[in-house]
Amino acid sequence: MTRKTLARLAALSGAAALAAVAAAVGSAAPARDSAAAPLKIGISLSLSGDFSDPGKFAQQGYKLWANTVNAKGGILGRKVQLIIQDDASSPTQAATNYQNFITKDKVDLVFGPFSTLLSAPSAAVANRYGYAFIEPAGGGPAVFDQKLHNVFFTQPAPIVESGDVFAKWLLSLPKSQRPKTAAYPALDDPFSSPIADRMRGILEKAGVKTVYKTIYPSETVDMTPIVSKIASANPDVVIGGTQSGDGYSIVKAMVQAKFSPKFLFLSNGPNSPGEFPSKVGAKNVNGIFSASDWFPQAKTPGNPAFVKAFIKAYGGNAGSIDPGSAEAYAVGQVVSSLASRIHSVDNKKIIAALHKGTWPTVEGTLHWNAIGEPQGQDLLMEWIGGQLYPVLPKSVAVKAPFFPKPAWGK
Amino acid sequence: MSRATAAGLARGAAFAAAAIAFPFVFNAAWIVNIGVLTLMYAALATAWNLFSGYTGYITLGQAAFFGLGAYTLGIVFEHVGIGSGYNPFYALPLVGAGIAIASVPVAWIALRTRHMTFAIVTLTLLFIVQQLAFNLRSLTKGSSGLMLPTPSFPISSYDTPFYLAMLAILLAGLALCWLILRSKLGLMLLAIREDEEKARGLGIRVTGAKLIAWSLMVWLSAMVGGVWAYYLTFIYPESSVDPLVMIGAVLMTFLGGRGTLWGPTIGALVLVPAQQYMITKLGASQLYLVGYSAVFMVVLLLLPRGILPSLRSAIDKQRERRRTHREPIVREEARA
Amino acid sequence: MHEVVQAIILGVLVGGIYALMASGLTLVFGIMKVINVAQGALVILAAYLSYALFSHLHIDPFLSILIVTPAMFVLGVAVQLVFVRSLRGPDGSELSLLVTWALALGIEGVLSVIFKTNFRVTSPSYGDNSWSILGYQISEVRLFAFASSAVLLLLLSLLLTRTRFGRAVRATVQNPTAATLLGVDANRVQTLSFGLGVSMAAAAGAVYGVIYPFNPGSHYDLISRLLSIVVLGGLGSLGGAVFAALGMGVIEALVAVEISPVWSSFSFFVVLIAFLLVRPQGIFGVRERVL
Repeated sequence: MTRKTLARLAALSGAAALAAVAAAVGSAAPARDSAAAPLKIGISLSLSGDFSDPGKFAQQGYKLWANTVNAKGGILGRKVQLIIQDDASSPTQAATNYQNFITKDKVDLVFGPFSTLLSAPSAAVANRYGYAFIEPAGGGPAVFDQKLHNVFFTQPAPIVESGDVFAKWLLSLPKSQRPKTAAYPALDDPFSSPIADRMRGILEKAGVKTVYKTIYPSETVDMTPIVSKIASANPDVVIGGTQSGDGYSIVKAMVQAKFSPKFLFLSNGPNSPGEFPSKVGAKNVNGIFSASDWFPQAKTPGNPAFVKAFIKAYGGNAGSIDPGSAEAYAVGQVVSSLASRIHSVDNKKIIAALHKGTWPTVEGTLHWNAIGEPQGQDLLMEWIGGQLYPVLPKSVAVKAPFFPKPAWGK
Repeated sequence: MSRATAAGLARGAAFAAAAIAFPFVFNAAWIVNIGVLTLMYAALATAWNLFSGYTGYITLGQAAFFGLGAYTLGIVFEHVGIGSGYNPFYALPLVGAGIAIASVPVAWIALRTRHMTFAIVTLTLLFIVQQLAFNLRSLTKGSSGLMLPTPSFPISSYDTPFYLAMLAILLAGLALCWLILRSKLGLMLLAIREDEEKARGLGIRVTGAKLIAWSLMVWLSAMVGGVWAYYLTFIYPESSVDPLVMIGAVLMTFLGGRGTLWGPTIGALVLVPAQQYMITKLGASQLYLVGYSAVFMVVLLLLPRGILPSLRSAIDKQRERRRTHREPIVREEARA
Repeated sequence: MHEVVQAIILGVLVGGIYALMASGLTLVFGIMKVINVAQGALVILAAYLSYALFSHLHIDPFLSILIVTPAMFVLGVAVQLVFVRSLRGPDGSELSLLVTWALALGIEGVLSVIFKTNFRVTSPSYGDNSWSILGYQISEVRLFAFASSAVLLLLLSLLLTRTRFGRAVRATVQNPTAATLLGVDANRVQTLSFGLGVSMAAAAGAVYGVIYPFNPGSHYDLISRLLSIVVLGGLGSLGGAVFAALGMGVIEALVAVEISPVWSSFSFFVVLIAFLLVRPQGIFGVRERVL
């Protein structure tokens, strides 16, 4: 009796599932590649979950690019149509989304998601189907360790190299001013501790003594014990591999401990012109260094137009534009250049073309090695007189680096 | 063979046949991919149900063993080399068994505590495993994540081996549940769920019975984690020990009906495609978590016993009402 | 030695705040055998409320306790009436784990839609001040936070020992059936105590936001600690929760300084499991009744 009902239920649900699948298959008829058909681009973004803020910044950049090219008639006469799907910050969902874009929606191109942790499995899916994977944010080692030929990262340098400019600058100082001791607190995060590790390697090789190093987990909300250890080791330079929240906490804890080193570099946190002063106190920012890949006043290809269009589309001012939007916009710029250079959006041709030549973007003029690592340099930023300026490399610097760091509150 | 046994076997065989045929009939990669995810959750939910549904002890630590399975496979790849293609699948039962055996002492400590404390202790297991994944960098590469070798399957049917592997685990889980429900162990577990003190008083080896169910749960969960890791090729601590994955499996168990054989599978068959559909349709909304928790609430508050038991009792009631009018009551003992 | 003492001071100060959060959790369990997994999310919600009051209306975060706590009391009462009360029957306790977990996810989801997911911190002007006492650094806000927690815990214990309501609560904890026979309105006691438990989360949240940066996802970390604290202290024991919270604060701070921060919460979890091996009912707990 019950058994019969169950069997019926199973049959019903099975039939329903089949019908749903059939309907879905029907609706996913392959797109005809005609000149009039829109150019479909699949993008998985984290619109909810841990990565949702940067995900939204990237979304703004992508959409701005699409609207800009569509206003001028699109790419190769085809309107750009972005298919954006939420991955809820889950790598399983990100990979599923790219699978859907390629095998169900039959998109022409895919663009990268936000975060290395989502880009790594997604790049593997794109690679399986021979799609180019131009990506704005997957610059961590996990992406490049796969040694995929289809990956192109649209920032000036891989994430681990973000601090190289600062380390090399320290070593270029006259011997008397050069720091002799260093401390390296770093967040256990693929975009943070590798930066500090690499800088430590460079500085140790040049004879800068490491007096303290530690890795702290992302839920470490209390920087006081770490900072008190750093303060008792009293290094000349503190190099933090940080994200924003812990970066703010380190600065606050240092202020509280009344410890001000000669040089202070934090890979993230101080590079947010809008947030940093409000988090640590506007009077405590001066002399702090950070890294960045983009700044609003940059004279990079297309940047003034990008900034202007961005403000027009989303409001705010130049200072409120997140680099994440610029990174995503740069992905679009690469595609625009491809269209005018190779007159094709064929993925095989794109991959071949991008491995040669240089590509102008708001992130700078980019070129990649065989596994998609950009071969440029990130920017060194510093707070001077309450403002954040690029101070190196010289070609883009607005001011010269200023040191030693003044005491807190000065 | 009794009639019930025959019907059960027939139902299982029909399900297995339909499920095996599915990826060959609907062979578009994206459909098979959804199939893989559905079976993954069905297997996880079945495993969760095997322990928590049958003993009444809620474990919140299943994600720990899913993650251990994923990482163990990843580490074995990295340091031992187990080939590519189908070979890693064959290693999985061993990997899962190793994890299950290792988990027994911890479970033994945790099972010294009673229901609520037990649930919380298992939840801390989840955090312990996640922290080990972060901290044992030489093995796990820490927060940067561990890359597994790219599986060497042909692109046209790339997802099918993973589908079949997940299906094999699900069928193993269903078979275990079916056997348990028909064995002395099943009776023991049922007695524990009803009244543990009484069961103990009757001389039932309470802890032993619970530990057997526990290790089967761990074995299945770890294997699912292993297949998932090989499928995705990239794992990191937060994604492989993800409370949301486990909560998803628990939700499906509750939806289908915990303590039943087919409930968890039915829950997964309903929820995973529904979730994928929602993501595609609602695409760019940020309300994913809110919607998730709302569905969860509705299921727990309105349908706490799940689809199968609720349906069954509704049908039984109606039938009984009809029968009382016509014929003398013949109660039938039916359990699916 | 200096480091060790400094770490202990820090651990105690932090432990005090956790004690406040955990007190609400363990109180609610004692009365209705319900574990409120959303306690961590409610702390974060309160931190956001206090943050919003501070950044828009310039209300001092410590003063905002007076606004946030009553507001969250009402919310707590509503949650109990809508979600928790309906969970009756033999599985009620276990179901409550999952229902409140779903609630936590919902709160996280709503917060990330409203406030985004970047880290916030409430920074009053005195946020950076610190005192040096005998060479030990003590931050002003941390001391304030600890003091507020201590005062609130004291108030809670006075409420439970000196008032009619408190007697009703304690009677319910010890023997629900007898309490009902003596004329205690069990429903009312349960609803009010749930509200009270949430208020503790609220007060703790307001001070939490001054000390730590938080985002909607921070509740996972909080709840994992809080649950371990109440289990270590013994489910339902207020004294145990306070004791365990201070213990956790000190263990974590010491491990962070002496070994490495990455092992600090790990060590606490291991201590918990090792302790349960010896004493499954926690420090001050009584053996949980089989339901």
